[in-house]
Amino acid sequence: MRTRPRRLAQLLVLLTGTALAVAACGSDFADSDSGGGADDDDQNDAGQTDGAAQAEDDESSGDDGSSLTLMGFSSGPAEDEALNAIIDAYNEQSTNTARFNPVPEYDTALQAALAGGSPPDVIYVDSNRLPDLVEAGALAPADGRVRNEDDFYPSLREAFTYDGTFWCPPKDFSTLALVYNVDMFDDAGLEPPTDWEELATAAEALTDGDRTGLALVPEYPRWGSFMFQAGGAVTDDEVTEMTIDSDANREAFEFLRDLYAQGYAATPTELDAGWAGEAFGQGRAAMTIEGNWIVGALNNDFPDVNWAVTELPAGPAGPGTFAFTVCYAVPAASENPDAAWNLVDYLVSDEALLQFTEQFPVMPGRESLAGAWTEAHPDLGAFLTGAEYARPFQFVPGFAGVVDTLDDGIQGIAAGNREIDEVIQQVDESGRAALGG
Amino acid sequence: MRALRQRAATDERVAGWIFVIPVLVGIGTFLIVPIGMALWISFTDWNGLSPPEQAEFVGLDNYRELVTAEGDPRRDFAMAVRNNLYYVLGVVPAQTAIAFILAVIVNQKFLRGKGFFRTAYYFPSITSSIAISLVFLFLFQRSGAINQLISGLLPGAEFRMNWLDNADGVLHNAVGLVGVDTPPAILTDTSVLGLSLWQWLSGPSVTLFAIMILATWTTTGTMMLIFLAGLQNIPPDVEEASRVDGASALQRFRLVTIPMMKQPLFFVLTIGLIGTWQVFDQIFVISAGGPQKTTLTPAYLIYREGFQNFSMGRATAVAFLLFALIIVFTLVQRRILKPERA
Repeated sequence: MRTRPRRLAQLLVLLTGTALAVAACGSDFADSDSGGGADDDDQNDAGQTDGAAQAEDDESSGDDGSSLTLMGFSSGPAEDEALNAIIDAYNEQSTNTARFNPVPEYDTALQAALAGGSPPDVIYVDSNRLPDLVEAGALAPADGRVRNEDDFYPSLREAFTYDGTFWCPPKDFSTLALVYNVDMFDDAGLEPPTDWEELATAAEALTDGDRTGLALVPEYPRWGSFMFQAGGAVTDDEVTEMTIDSDANREAFEFLRDLYAQGYAATPTELDAGWAGEAFGQGRAAMTIEGNWIVGALNNDFPDVNWAVTELPAGPAGPGTFAFTVCYAVPAASENPDAAWNLVDYLVSDEALLQFTEQFPVMPGRESLAGAWTEAHPDLGAFLTGAEYARPFQFVPGFAGVVDTLDDGIQGIAAGNREIDEVIQQVDESGRAALGG
Repeated sequence: MRALRQRAATDERVAGWIFVIPVLVGIGTFLIVPIGMALWISFTDWNGLSPPEQAEFVGLDNYRELVTAEGDPRRDFAMAVRNNLYYVLGVVPAQTAIAFILAVIVNQKFLRGKGFFRTAYYFPSITSSIAISLVFLFLFQRSGAINQLISGLLPGAEFRMNWLDNADGVLHNAVGLVGVDTPPAILTDTSVLGLSLWQWLSGPSVTLFAIMILATWTTTGTMMLIFLAGLQNIPPDVEEASRVDGASALQRFRLVTIPMMKQPLFFVLTIGLIGTWQVFDQIFVISAGGPQKTTLTPAYLIYREGFQNFSMGRATAVAFLLFALIIVFTLVQRRILKPERA
C-alpha cells in the first residue's frame, strides 16, 4: 500500500512526458506551418499588387515539373472520366503532372487536410462553403491568377467573391429546372407549365393512383427557388438582415403546402425512391425539380423514359432558380502555389471547360461558351436559360444552423404538422441570433 | 537474503514498466492527449479549418449555448438528448431481454443444430452496420417487406406506412388513437431546455423506432454470446444439487440461473447503455438526423456541428456533455444493480 502513491506519481510523470513529447511535436509542425502560411501571404500580396504582369509570369514559373494533386468529390464514373480526360490533356502540354483524387465524405477530408496544415494543391470549394473557408484564412485569392476572369458569369463571379476578393474560378455550375415526362404530358394533353397556376393544374391532372404529379424534396435548396419566384428570400442580398418574415415567403410556403396536402406533390421517400430523380425515372412522378446532375442519372438508369426539361414555372414575382457551383481553389498553405494556379488556369480555360462539359452535362462558367454548350446539348437549354436569374446557395459563416432550422420547418410544413407562421417565426429568431441582432 | 529479495523486486518493477510502456505510450498518444486537446477546443471557437492555435478562447460559451442560452444550439441539443433517451430506453431492455432468452435457448442440451442457431443469431453482429442499414432501408420502404408483412397480417387493409420519413412521435400516435389530439395547455406551455413538455413526451418518432428495431436486431447477437459464456460458467453441480432438492425447471431458472447471471447481466447492461448513447452509423446511413431532427442524436450532432457547420468548439462541447451523460447513467445503473465484487 505504501508504494501506491509513488507508483501513481510515476505513472503521471510518464503520461505527462508522453503528452509533452507529443505536444512538442505538434507545435513544431504548427510553427513550420504558420511560417509557410506567412510566406504564402507575402506571395499573394505581391500577386495582388502587380496583378496582370504576375499572371503572365506565372505562365512560365508555374510550369516547373511539379506533381500536383487535385482533391475533389465525384458524382460517379461519368464525371471522373470527363475530368481525367482534361487532366490528361493538361499533363500532355505541361511539364507538371496532375492527378485527380476523388474522396468520399469530401467535407470531412478537406477539413482534416486544411487543419492538418498540408493540404492538396488544388481543392474543390462549394459556393456554400466559401465564406467559412475564407474567414478561416484557408484559401489563396485568385485575383489575377486566372486568364480572362471577366468572362465568367457575374453571378458566379459574385458567388466566389467574398470580402471584395475573387477567390477561385468556377469549375462548372448547375441550375434547377423542371424535368417532365413527355409521354405522361402528351397522354393528358398538357403543355409544360410556365407559371404556378399551370404547375398546380398539371400536378393535379397527372396525379393518379400510385403516381404523383411532382416529386420534390422538402428542403431549402429546392423550396428556396419558390421563395425567389414569389419575390422572397431568407435574408437580404448581403446576408446582413433576415427577410424570412414576408408575405412573399408565406405565399410560396402556402402554395407548396397545399400541393403536398392534396397529394399532388410528394417526397421521394413517399414514392419509395432514394431521391427525386429515381422516383421520376421509375414513373412514380410526372415532374421533378432537379439540376443538371439528373441528366446522366436518367440516361444511365432509365434510358427508356421520354423526358424533357423546361425552365422552372414563374411565380407571382417572376422566374427564380438556384445555381449550384463549385470552384477550383488553391489553399493558402499550398506548397507550390504557382504550379497549382497553372493547373487551375488550364482547367478553366475555354478548351478544357468545353471538353469537360461536352462530355459531362454541367455548364461551363464562362459566358462566351454558352453557344457552344447549347450546340452540344440542344435539349438542355432550360438549365442554361436559368443562369440569367439564378441565385447561388450561399450565406455567411455561422449560418448553417439556421438553414438546418429552416429545413426542419420545411419538412414539417410538407408533412402538415407545422404551421407556416410558427416556422417563419422560429427561423427569423434563429437567423437574427446568427447574424447578431 | 533480504537484499537479494529487494533486488529481485526492483528488477521486477523495472521489467514491469518496460512491458507496459508500449501500451502507455499508445494510450497517451491516441487517447489522453487527444482528450486533453478536445477539452481545450471545447473552450474555444475553433472552426476546424484554420490551424487550431488561431482559435479564440471563449471560456464556457459553448457549454452555455448548449445548456442555458436560448436558441438553436440548445434546442438541437435537447432534441438530440430526448431522441437518444428514448432510443436507450427502448433498445437496452429489448436487446438484453431477447439476448438472454436466446442464450438460454441455445444453451439447452436437447437442442439440435445448436451451432447453426448460435451462428445465425450472432451473424448480424459481425456484419457491417452500414450494409445492414442499407438492407433495412429497403425493408422499411413504403412498398417494402415490413409493410407487406403487416398488410398480410391485417387482411383487407393495405398498410403503407412511410417508416423512414415520419416525424410523428410514437407516444403521440398512441394517445392519438384514444382520441387525444390536442395536448393539454400545461404540456405545451411549459418548456424545458427549449422544448415543450409535449415535445419531450412525444416518444421516439416512427423513423427512430425503425432504427431502434434495427439496432436491437444487430446487437442482440453479441449480448447473447456474453450471456451464453455466463450460462456455461454455471457449474453443473449447482444445477444438479437444485434438481436433487426437488426444484422445478422454472424454480431452477428463477432461483439458480438468474442470480448466477448477475455479473454478465451487469456487463451487458453497461456496454449496452454506453453503445446506445453513442449511436451514429445507422443514423448516418438511414436518416442523417431527419425527418425534422427526430433522429438527431448527440453523436450525430457532434458530426453535424463539427464537420458540416464548422463549429468544432461546439461539437467538442457536445462530446463532453455526452461523456458526462454516459457516466451519470452508468453510475445510476451501477447503484441500482450493485454488482458483487468477485
